[in-house]
Amino acid sequence: MTPPGQPKKRKLIDGGLITLCIILCLSGGAVWIKFGPQVFWSSLLTDLGFAAMLLPKVIGGVLLAVALGYVLPRERIMALAGPESGVRGLAVAMLAGAIFPGGPAVTFSLTAGLMASGADLAAGVAMVSGWVLLSANRTLIWELSFLPSHFVLVRVLLTLPVPILLGLAIRHMAKRRVAAE
Amino acid sequence: MNILIGTILIWAGALWALSRVRRDHASELRTVWQISLDTFLFMLPRLILGLLSAGFLALLLPEEFVQRYLGDNAGFGGLLVAAVFGALTPGGPFVAFAIGASAIKAGATLGAVAAYVTAWCIYSILRIMSYEVPMLGGTFTRVRLLYSLPVPILLGLLAQAVM
Repeated sequence: MTPPGQPKKRKLIDGGLITLCIILCLSGGAVWIKFGPQVFWSSLLTDLGFAAMLLPKVIGGVLLAVALGYVLPRERIMALAGPESGVRGLAVAMLAGAIFPGGPAVTFSLTAGLMASGADLAAGVAMVSGWVLLSANRTLIWELSFLPSHFVLVRVLLTLPVPILLGLAIRHMAKRRVAAE
Repeated sequence: MNILIGTILIWAGALWALSRVRRDHASELRTVWQISLDTFLFMLPRLILGLLSAGFLALLLPEEFVQRYLGDNAGFGGLLVAAVFGALTPGGPFVAFAIGASAIKAGATLGAVAAYVTAWCIYSILRIMSYEVPMLGGTFTRVRLLYSLPVPILLGLLAQAVM
């Protein structure tokens, strides 16, 4: 099988990490000055403890996100999202966007490929929206690490229909435009 | 407790997916471990720095301001403020989620944070300008952004009602 679009090996130190270091130094320094060293250390230790408690979840999330990309047959799934595929096609496009791992370069080229093989703008938007709103990678690895589990669950469940609804709205408007001409 | 349940559920999923990989693509298993390790090493420093920053920022965020504009009484206006902030937040997921976490600590409602996170997901300017427009074109991007306009507020309202 073709390897799913995994991100290439990333640099361990990049602009994001440096930005984060700067934010940490500024906010930590401000806390030290405003509230004194005691509050600084207590906040630091509490959050380090929290990070340690999160680690098992984070490791599980990484494994799940990476393995998921290998479990699903990508070609077969993409074929289901082709032209005239109705609501099911929109749902498949959304799921493909949400589940296949990889950064923007991978997802946008998959989307371009999907549309080149005949899918409409609505399916493309459903796919990109599935990725931006529900990316399994981002949700499992980052969102679950920082935000409460029940928040993430509710957000994901509420968001699930959104890419499909966006696709349906775009198809509806396209039909009206054709009818008007 | 919440963390424990989440951890168990995620590990159940991970073990299921790994067993499927082992059954169907045994030769890929090494790659899966390698990519997972790389990803983990990439995110570990970011996770720790992000969580520490979130803790400090939560102390610094003026609680009165957060509760007034993003708290229980902020209502619709609060969701709008959160969505605009989300759309304007630059940087990777660790930045946006760390800010979301500190806002919750400082008293923001989960609905406001849902609007914030959703807006950030949809309108990441850097990603749009450097990938989406060049790869999918201006029309595609315009249509997607236009139709997505009400989404952060609607999801914030729904999340507010549910949580």
